[in-house]
Amino acid sequence: MAEEKTLDNSELVARLQDPSTCRAAFGDLIRLYSEPLYRQIRRMVQSHDDANDLLQNTFMKAWQNIENFRGDAKLSTWLYKIASNESLTFLEKERKRAGISIDEQETNLINTIEADTHVDGDALEKKLRQAIVTLPEKQRLVFNMRYFDEMKYEKMSEILGTSVGALKASYHLAVKKIEQFFESND
Amino acid sequence: MKDILEQINHKDGMTVPEGYFEDFASRMAASLPVRDWEENRGKVMPRSFWQKVRPYVYLAAMFAGVWCMMTMFDMMRPASPGLSLENNSRLTAALDNDSFINDYVINESGMDEYLIMEDLYENGFTPAEYTATDDNDYNLTDI
Repeated sequence: MAEEKTLDNSELVARLQDPSTCRAAFGDLIRLYSEPLYRQIRRMVQSHDDANDLLQNTFMKAWQNIENFRGDAKLSTWLYKIASNESLTFLEKERKRAGISIDEQETNLINTIEADTHVDGDALEKKLRQAIVTLPEKQRLVFNMRYFDEMKYEKMSEILGTSVGALKASYHLAVKKIEQFFESND
Repeated sequence: MKDILEQINHKDGMTVPEGYFEDFASRMAASLPVRDWEENRGKVMPRSFWQKVRPYVYLAAMFAGVWCMMTMFDMMRPASPGLSLENNSRLTAALDNDSFINDYVINESGMDEYLIMEDLYENGFTPAEYTATDDNDYNLTDI
């Protein structure tokens, strides 16, 4: 969270709003936000290649709409919102393209985790990833933001457009579902 | 369950190829398309014909408006020089003519004989001081 304050500095926002410094500032923005956004996207889609494509789309959309960013919202909130929408849209398009249900897509994601080569975690971490993909998509987003990024509920509320109370309830429900997954797959 | 989440300690175990983020940042920055506002920045846009002549047209219209306004005020003045007594010979000749004064000024303005006599009395006239001739001419003396 301390890092987040650094990323949301007003100087970067001011440079982004000045046409003469906007491109250079956007380069700095990519360097600052590529890793946190990548992790958020990859936790949703699991595949590195898909996450790479979606990260590119996220920054491209941000660049195409940079003149609409007036600094009213935090920079990180705006970018997380774009990345979240990109992830959810991708998963929906994939289901339609392959003609599969949400449950079938869940199985595919578990298989992707099994076959993933870009990992350094132990079996427990892999099992947690598999448990997370069994959650509904929006609940998955909530759990990831809260557990891995330790994001405040207020910020999550701004990104997802959901009340703080609903987010807290969703997170606790997600924890219970993950607990059940671990118990049933012990 | 909480022990498991604490044991995992907020790590997701996902990695990326070596140097991925540095490489991504440079590739992404290089692939950003040029925006319209970037191309137009610093360029002086050529001025159209209308933009060039517009200040002069506005100036000419302003002068024309002032001229029209002055002409209108001149026409609205109550006495034009053409009606002044000094410049109108016909009016001067009419005022020099006694019969014109008697017919159109004295009589038409109600200056009848009674009023004339009343005025004479007010100015100290006495009837004994005038004599009447046979042909009814009045010879006023010492008045």
